[in-house]
Amino acid sequence: MVLSPAAIQALQVATVLFGAPLVQGVIARVEARLQGRRGPRVLQPYYDIAKLFSKETLWPDHATWVFLAAPVVAFCCYLIFPLLIPVLTTYGLPLGYIADIFGSGFVLALAAFAVALAAAESGAPYAQLGSSRAMTFAALGEPIFLFVVFAVALITATDLPYVEAATVRASVAQIVRPAHLLAAAAFFLLMLSDTGRIPVETHSGTLEFGMIDEARTLEHSGPLFALLKWGSAMKQLLLYTVFINVLVAPWGLASTGAPGDVVWAIVSLLGKAILLGCAVAVIDDSFAKLRLFKVAGFMAAGFLLAVLAVLVLFLGAG
Amino acid sequence: MLAAAPVPSVFNGTAEVLAMVVLLATFAMFRTQLLRAQVKLYAVQSLFVSGLALAAAVTRGESELYVLAVVSAAVKVVAIPAVMRRLLDRIDGSLAGHEAFSVTTAVLVGIAVAAFGFFAVGALEVRTALLPRAALAIGVAVILESFLLMIARTDVPSQAIGFFSLENGVSIAGLVVATGMPLLLELLFLFDLLVAVVAFGVMMRTLHLRSATVSARGLERLRG
Repeated sequence: MVLSPAAIQALQVATVLFGAPLVQGVIARVEARLQGRRGPRVLQPYYDIAKLFSKETLWPDHATWVFLAAPVVAFCCYLIFPLLIPVLTTYGLPLGYIADIFGSGFVLALAAFAVALAAAESGAPYAQLGSSRAMTFAALGEPIFLFVVFAVALITATDLPYVEAATVRASVAQIVRPAHLLAAAAFFLLMLSDTGRIPVETHSGTLEFGMIDEARTLEHSGPLFALLKWGSAMKQLLLYTVFINVLVAPWGLASTGAPGDVVWAIVSLLGKAILLGCAVAVIDDSFAKLRLFKVAGFMAAGFLLAVLAVLVLFLGAG
Repeated sequence: MLAAAPVPSVFNGTAEVLAMVVLLATFAMFRTQLLRAQVKLYAVQSLFVSGLALAAAVTRGESELYVLAVVSAAVKVVAIPAVMRRLLDRIDGSLAGHEAFSVTTAVLVGIAVAAFGFFAVGALEVRTALLPRAALAIGVAVILESFLLMIARTDVPSQAIGFFSLENGVSIAGLVVATGMPLLLELLFLFDLLVAVVAFGVMMRTLHLRSATVSARGLERLRG
């Protein structure tokens, strides 16, 4: 029996949709253990989302339909993104080529834009503060993303994530080349900032003055808030997937449509994502959060790595 | 259509990564405020330079290169950082360096300078026998970054570290273009470095005795 490409594609979305809260739960648990706490259950994010879906939705007096539509738009973007990247297979699926890395970046940017717009729409000071900060730092992260894409384009002569993954799998020489390592490191820094992690942000903090991503959703409630929370868990898993399956460890993917291969691909993806999450949790626990004004310096470091990756390629080597 | 960039061999790739770490260590020195942390970074940087020498030694199988790797590790990873640490111990009260401009500006200027170094070497038709040509470009970038570090910092210990890391850049460039350079010449460079340590040490102490600071700013004023 062989699964059809369409079925696998649907499975990609389902894996991200239902796996994301699990990955988040495991990371939260590991993080708590590192801090000497017992921590919540691994399945806690699922319970949180289920609870929020049964609550009523409240919204600020002057908010319009934008406030209500934004979480749905963002959630849809996170459902589209797994169609475009290699989540489970080594070969391109039917809809896999409708957008390249730039296109996938735009989809994520649209989601962030929708959430920021809703935060601005709420009229609440903290939400607006969060949205303005998030947009400021996203603008600083943009050049890093661009240069990582340039590096990938110079390495593979395309900008398709599937081709980059295949290139990395091809030989050891492709892995140890400095351009690849620098681009991967730059993407890792970008990922830390985009998933609201130290040293840019404390994702579990309750102090509004230090918040960036978390503050944007303060005014949402009920099912819409559940969508936002679920969406941010999915965003985290999606960025991890790009990092793992495109740049760092594209092994364990299914090369045929055999059900056994696909199941193994799902298990290995979640396993790798959890391992990466543990590494991120260790970083989270070993560094202090940067002062807000120092975040630009952090972004400059990421930019440096990405630019060096491109420069080394232009030297004719790397 | 754009052609894919050629893949370096595993050895060349590794050598380039080693050289790249040296360059990144120089950039890290820009970001590091504490003088002790800078000394530590210098030790790490020197370790990678010695590693590069060792890699060259292993492929070429020359005993002279082994000796060079060991001696440079002993001098630059152990001896010089230890001396610097002792010097910093005596100068109490000044833990952090002084910057002439902000870290982010320094890094952005540093990227431009590194790019200049890369393209300048790329324009030269240098043939290299053992290590990849990119390592030479990275070595030159390290030299330029170290210049920038010495300009960006106004305190003597940071400038000393900048000078020492400049020597590390020269070592990389030397390894690439003249792997077979006589050992004696390379050792002379290392002793040159020791002289520089003594000179910077004396400067640091005199400055500290005279003005109770290690900032070189005080030297800019004319006294009649």
